[in-house]
Amino acid sequence: MGIVLTKDPVAEGEVSVDGATVRYYDSIEARGKRNPIVLVHGTTGSTAVHYGYLFPMLATRQRVISVDLGMPAGELTIDSFRRQVEAVIDNLLAGQKVTLVGYSLGAVVAATVAAARPETIENLILVAGWAKTDSQQLLRNSVWNALYESGNKDALAQFTVFCAFGNPFVGARTLEELAPAIKAVNVTEFGAAQMQLNRDIDIADRLDKITANTLVVGCTYDQMVPNRHSRDLFGATENARYTEIPSGHAVVFERPAELHKQIDNFAANPSRHPAGTIIPTVKP
Amino acid sequence: MTTHTPLLIIGTGFAGIGLAMKLKRRGINDFILIERSDDVGGTWRDNRYPGAACDVPSHLYSYSFKLKSDWTRVFAPATEIWEYIRWCAQDEGIMPHIRFNTNLLDATWDEVGTLWRVQTSQGEYTANVVVTAMGHLADEKYPPIDGIETFTGEKFHSARWDHSAHLDGKRIAVVGSGASAIQIIPEMQKVAQQLIVFQRSAPYVIPRPDRAYTHAEQRRFARDPASMEALRSELFWGMEYNYAQRRAVPKSIAEAYSMANGHRNNQVTDPEVMAKLTPDYEIGCKRILISDVYYPAMQARNVHIEASALERVEGTTLVSAEGNSYEVDAVVFATGFEAIEPPFAPLIHGRDGLALSEYWSQGMQALDSTTVAGFPNLFIMNGPNTGLGHNSVIYVVESQIDYIVGGIEFMRGARASVIEARPESESEYVEAVIERSAGTVWLTGGCKNWYVDYRTNRLTVTWPDFAYAFRDSNGEFEPAHYSVA
Repeated sequence: MGIVLTKDPVAEGEVSVDGATVRYYDSIEARGKRNPIVLVHGTTGSTAVHYGYLFPMLATRQRVISVDLGMPAGELTIDSFRRQVEAVIDNLLAGQKVTLVGYSLGAVVAATVAAARPETIENLILVAGWAKTDSQQLLRNSVWNALYESGNKDALAQFTVFCAFGNPFVGARTLEELAPAIKAVNVTEFGAAQMQLNRDIDIADRLDKITANTLVVGCTYDQMVPNRHSRDLFGATENARYTEIPSGHAVVFERPAELHKQIDNFAANPSRHPAGTIIPTVKP
Repeated sequence: MTTHTPLLIIGTGFAGIGLAMKLKRRGINDFILIERSDDVGGTWRDNRYPGAACDVPSHLYSYSFKLKSDWTRVFAPATEIWEYIRWCAQDEGIMPHIRFNTNLLDATWDEVGTLWRVQTSQGEYTANVVVTAMGHLADEKYPPIDGIETFTGEKFHSARWDHSAHLDGKRIAVVGSGASAIQIIPEMQKVAQQLIVFQRSAPYVIPRPDRAYTHAEQRRFARDPASMEALRSELFWGMEYNYAQRRAVPKSIAEAYSMANGHRNNQVTDPEVMAKLTPDYEIGCKRILISDVYYPAMQARNVHIEASALERVEGTTLVSAEGNSYEVDAVVFATGFEAIEPPFAPLIHGRDGLALSEYWSQGMQALDSTTVAGFPNLFIMNGPNTGLGHNSVIYVVESQIDYIVGGIEFMRGARASVIEARPESESEYVEAVIERSAGTVWLTGGCKNWYVDYRTNRLTVTWPDFAYAFRDSNGEFEPAHYSVA
């Protein structure tokens, strides 16, 4: 649908899974010895929205493929999304080892893929993800849903920005400066279905099947998926390291370059830090 | 008389002073710094033209290991940055190590003595290890202009500002439209009877989010240093974001155009001026400049924009490439610095007497941007591929400091008298830099810039990647890349 991710053309295609149309983007060119990276976006996101910065910059270092998750014909479950990502990997990367990156709900999806396909997912990066939805998330989700049902789009957009960005980021900006972010909030029926899905996430019993070298990235000021969830993932995943970025949940907008560094460093040498390491936050 | 020192550092700007501070903190005290001038501060001692300031916020443009809580503004003026370096040098006990008014004349590797023989304006030094810590912006560059010597009025370079010159009410020409020029022009506009700006190509300019820090903020920084580190991190990663412009990432280019074009549309009203101030190259190929006062000054009634180069001078008449003539009393050359062919390179002679400038006749190159095969026990700061267009160069300087301190500690630990970059390691590094450069806007953007070597079209001044990648690649001394004796 003609989104422009890099200055060079990016291949696009789609696969059909459970009645869902799943688009993907592929930078194609392999560089160096790194595994190809597969990106999975978060709730109400897409490749263009969540990876408009990371896709082209990561593509300067290795092949990058990104998935636009789709709405299945039947019930939406976490396994619908798992099968979509698996289908794209099977279609483009059959027989290859993969570095899988998931952000937010995409991290939940990525963890389920890594649990189901340990032979394929050699490296795994979980950014602002979680294993089991808690009460804090449910309360926010309920308020979100009430605003969505009310049809008050402006309030919904403000609430979204209020929750998505870290308090230092929001507090340091004028409302005028925040206006474009608020204006960009756009919720589709598919997005609302994902919010519904978020209420019932529980993949805790799958995490011990993950064998991949794993990097868990938590966000210090995350109000949507507070970073204790990332620390839970760090504890529950056998081969995991943890690091933190001083950002809100919207790290792909607030600190994309810092997130790029974490992904870049890990993709270059996944076992540089042994499992169990807390990698210190960068002090420039 | 010859003075011997285990370690000689040449230059006392951010690089030399920062290295000295780190050495002392590591317990290494047997070093001397030489400085051609009579004070520390490097480019910030020299560049004190009216309006001089840094384009990187001060909480980032400072040492991470020497934070300053009381910066007066987001973008501190040049004199305050100079004061900061002086404070660092004094506070950390560096001053007694410095020999001022000592100009480097020649440094030659003595194969027999396995040390450097360094001739200076104050006599000879011998040193086991030499670090050149001259800046990118140390030596001014003048364009070749016919008849410039016939000019009878005041003329000087922005970095050698003649503070005794009387410019009030005069007809002044400013040659250039780069980072220095856009700071000087608004100041000259205030005092000139008439100001002529010779502009070869219009820069992209975005707003400058400057403001003064309140006393409360300064005290919070002092009482809670972690809040300074948090700000520094935010500033660093915010600037790091803009590296994507140099890779021509569509999303970033669109954002940069929107910011630059929006600023110009907000500030420029006259359509004729607008045409002259609209750049004709892809954004990001040259440094994107920041100013809120440049466009207003350029539209003032006493300012005339000559949208072509200064071609020749006849007495007090300046003639442009397009054939327009102007009578002026003073000329300010804001024409930049020698970065592609550093002026210290002809003075350094390695094995077999080879001059560094000869070795670099096809462009600068070094292992890890710091050491050169055939030039043992020599570390070069601010050398090949160490410039940054998008972030604070202090981050690069600190990475080089860590590297060099590591190298010196390695030598002492291993009791090595000579270390030298392996030629194959140097070549490998250079190839990797060429690979990083491919696809950057400097090589594809279709503009003249001072980062690309004119002889080979290779990017030799700027680091072609994120700043963090410089530290990842070059922040740690790697003994395996050296032959050791």
